[in-house]
Amino acid sequence: MDFRELLGKRILFFDGGMGTLLQERGLKAGEVPEMWNVLHPEIIRQIHREYLNAGCNVVSANTFGVNAYKCRNTACTVDELVTAGVHLAQEAIAEVRNAKQGSKKAHPMFAALDIGSIGKLLKPLGEISFDEAYQTFREIVLAGDRAGADLILIETVSDSYEIKAAVLAAKENSDLPVVVTMIFDEGGKLLTGGDVASVTAMLEGLGVDAVGFNCGLGPEQMKKLLPQLTECCSLPIVVNPNAGLPVVVDGQTIFTVEPEEFAQSVRVLVEMGASVAGGCCGTTPAHIRRVVELCGDMEIKPVTDKNLTVVSSYNHAVYFARKPLIIGERINPTGKSKFKQALRSHDMEYIYREGLSQEENGAHILDVNVGLPEIDEPQLMQEAVTGIQAIIDLPLQIDTSDTEAMERGLRYYNGKPMLNSVNGKKESMERVFPIAKKYGAVVVCLCLDEGGIPETVEGRLAVAEKLVKTAAAYGIPKKNLVMDALVLTISTGQDNANITLQTLRRIRFEMGLHTVLGVSNISFGLPERSRINTAFFTMAMNSGLSAGIVNPSSEPMMNAYYSFNALTGVDEQCMEYIAKASCAAENPGAAALSKSAEMTLDEAIVKGLAESAYEATIKLLDQNKDSLDIINENLIPALDVVGKGFEEKRMFLPQLLMSADAAKASFEAIRTTLSKQGKQSGSKGKIVIATVKGDIHDIGKNIVKTLLENYGFEMIDLGKDVDPQLILKTVQEQNVRLVGLSALMTTTVVSMEETIRLLREQHADCKVMVGGAVLTQEYADRIGADFYSRDAMGSVRYANALWERGEL
Amino acid sequence: MEIRNDDIRERVNIREIYRYLGYGAGEPDDSVYSMIVEVLGQLSQTVQPRYVYRVYACSVSETGVTLSAEDRAVTFESRNLAANLAQCSRAALIAATLGIAADKLLQKYEILNMTKAAIAQACGAAYIEAYCDIVQEQICEQVSAEAGKLYLRPRFSPGYGDLPLHCQKVFFAELECTKRIGLTLTDSLLMYPTKSVTALIGLTANPLSCHIGRCKNCACTDCEFREV
Repeated sequence: MDFRELLGKRILFFDGGMGTLLQERGLKAGEVPEMWNVLHPEIIRQIHREYLNAGCNVVSANTFGVNAYKCRNTACTVDELVTAGVHLAQEAIAEVRNAKQGSKKAHPMFAALDIGSIGKLLKPLGEISFDEAYQTFREIVLAGDRAGADLILIETVSDSYEIKAAVLAAKENSDLPVVVTMIFDEGGKLLTGGDVASVTAMLEGLGVDAVGFNCGLGPEQMKKLLPQLTECCSLPIVVNPNAGLPVVVDGQTIFTVEPEEFAQSVRVLVEMGASVAGGCCGTTPAHIRRVVELCGDMEIKPVTDKNLTVVSSYNHAVYFARKPLIIGERINPTGKSKFKQALRSHDMEYIYREGLSQEENGAHILDVNVGLPEIDEPQLMQEAVTGIQAIIDLPLQIDTSDTEAMERGLRYYNGKPMLNSVNGKKESMERVFPIAKKYGAVVVCLCLDEGGIPETVEGRLAVAEKLVKTAAAYGIPKKNLVMDALVLTISTGQDNANITLQTLRRIRFEMGLHTVLGVSNISFGLPERSRINTAFFTMAMNSGLSAGIVNPSSEPMMNAYYSFNALTGVDEQCMEYIAKASCAAENPGAAALSKSAEMTLDEAIVKGLAESAYEATIKLLDQNKDSLDIINENLIPALDVVGKGFEEKRMFLPQLLMSADAAKASFEAIRTTLSKQGKQSGSKGKIVIATVKGDIHDIGKNIVKTLLENYGFEMIDLGKDVDPQLILKTVQEQNVRLVGLSALMTTTVVSMEETIRLLREQHADCKVMVGGAVLTQEYADRIGADFYSRDAMGSVRYANALWERGEL
Repeated sequence: MEIRNDDIRERVNIREIYRYLGYGAGEPDDSVYSMIVEVLGQLSQTVQPRYVYRVYACSVSETGVTLSAEDRAVTFESRNLAANLAQCSRAALIAATLGIAADKLLQKYEILNMTKAAIAQACGAAYIEAYCDIVQEQICEQVSAEAGKLYLRPRFSPGYGDLPLHCQKVFFAELECTKRIGLTLTDSLLMYPTKSVTALIGLTANPLSCHIGRCKNCACTDCEFREV
């Protein structure tokens, strides 16, 4: 019998803990438990049998800790340990089934391939890439599938991004049912910050078969947490609690909840809505036996579709509901020359700053569009999505017409994404729906098709109906569609607003779908657009707009938004409105204050005041002072004052950096003026800078980079954990004469040495300067560096000296 | 035993932040000071600190230390550690982290403002130290309740003196750091999330061996950040 046929139809039981039972049978601390699959197969089989005889339906193969990283220190391969583990579970099932034949009909039994966490944090904040994680899981899945597992259990995981990699590996490399149980703390958070709603949204989107909790908590604590899951989850729910919270006695971690108490609590969890139950740490066959006795006859609560339209980031879910949402539109190059320039020069920070300011201004979701004809959009989309998610908590709307960019954006997204967009054309639906389905995206559907944008309400509704129907054929439910009723400017058709608003109303209230609009299109071609935009935005929200794609930095638009919410009663006690309004009342004063003190550029830089430096530079430029003269007569001498103060320990790192920020603002003013005149600012030469392989601390490197930039060097920043080969390649391809390397730990200075050796072997003509916490002059000499910089200013002096000698 | 962010914030030694920023015994001006206060505020609103520990019986020889529990024993070969744990009947292994939220915040500052990024590094370091201070006092209290009044020795971490960095692996195995608090170890023995501490803490009946000496006991006397 298929596991899927029973799941959610009747109560099912998982087994309990494995680790403690192995320790009782002699597993030593530090020993790899999965090695017992080959060393002591009879013991593993026996434990499985005990659980099966206790009445459980699913035994988890002893494969939890197997992965390529852990197998490096064992005599066995991943394949060997997984295959042996799955076979032992199957053999135990066969033995129990045979023994029961004749007596009474055996209960359904399944062998689960058990997959745990890799134990490494994923990039961008961690060590291994999403693809590496995926490959690691893929190897396990392929082995388990070959060995004949009945289902895949991904358990005791606590990082939504790692979970996504595991689920994709499971779904793309097998057809087995996938069950995911996660380890939450008592506050309902994963160790990486995700909450119940956000990961549940992601997992439902990815099409797993059941979700739930295991480990971390005992059954009592799970009772408190379970309502969060039953509220949002439309899948069967699994609970595999520990036998209570861990207690440490004499250096031993033990679990104290006895079988009777455990089973009584599990019974309550089933009453609350769990339909699969088992145990984790500290639970034994006796616990499971009692659970089966007490709950075996229970009727489970039917699994119902909660019908929520939801997107999520790594740490929270955002629901489409009565209160409209703000989708920030600013990460988009259309009509923005600065943004285009940033994309071309791969200035990711520009994009991140756009994101941060929209988050600050109240956006709930950020649209991400990085499409330009001349760039590698799929690659840039992947980078933008992962880079933005490293620092911004909001869910993202992947906005592209490039299929490959779409797939990349959705794949590397951490959470349940939004996708912009599909339309009613056959070609578009065939291309977009399969990708949206695979990654569980909420898709923006444009009400247009081969016939263009229908001019009537009925015409747009017909396209909407077609989109709903076709999506259903791809297995995409209505709740994952958000309809764009489309906005055409009223400057070309005076009925355009009416048509859009009526369409909105009928989609939202008759078809029962959520809606979205690119609001500001309404005023295209008209003067003072924000007047029309705000009025239209309010009208649209009143006509059933669920989410407006707008500029959150536009005060009038946001005022309209907060006022609308207050007026329609979705802003509880007008709290949000009041908070925003009082914030606005405070701000003008602050702005006036910073303007009051006017100073020279030199002073501004020495004091580290960015705004004043910017203004002083503009003033000098207005007085027709040549930009090069400003740099050489004001900027650099002022920076030197601070640099000297720093070296003489009269000034300190924060001041050095504040001055650097001020100088940056001044450069910004100069660059803007130059580009207006069609000129570019010159560079003293290129420098490659990197934190070496294996090292992840890059603040020191970034400080050095900031300072060198201010002194006019063009910095090629390769980031952290950089492969020596990439450094060599960059140096050779771009003909670079100076490389700066940073390493923090003795363990990573080895990579620094290796990098220098490689550069010397392949490219004798570049100098290498090094720095970092553990380095000393002696150490630097030993690994063959040309220069040891004990602080950030040291690297400036060295680079300047090379430049003066014409060696850059 | 719950430790609130407010308690940690309260406990942060601001002089330590000055020292990490290179001020030595000096003090920053008002603008830098107000940035420090702002960043500390952000940290305490954002981070989710967690810790895990285990207490062992401790036996010290001249060349190393053996920690033993009912079913296990681990040995550290290190004369410096042995000196640190002299007279200690018990010792704890602890691991503590501010979690991934701290790293996200640091990244954010690097994009918005390098000065605050540097300050956030210093504040993060002082914050995790303050957290460890509270944690170790709680551990000390608890063990004292069972075993009679004990006093804390200074924390001693892998990489200090002659205690090699690869001892990190012992901590991770003994404490299940990854599963319990989300702390991971790279192949090059660095920890993610980055604002994290692993340490051995000696517990001794000798009240004179207080835990305040810290930095000044270190043999590296030309250190840029040495307490003065």
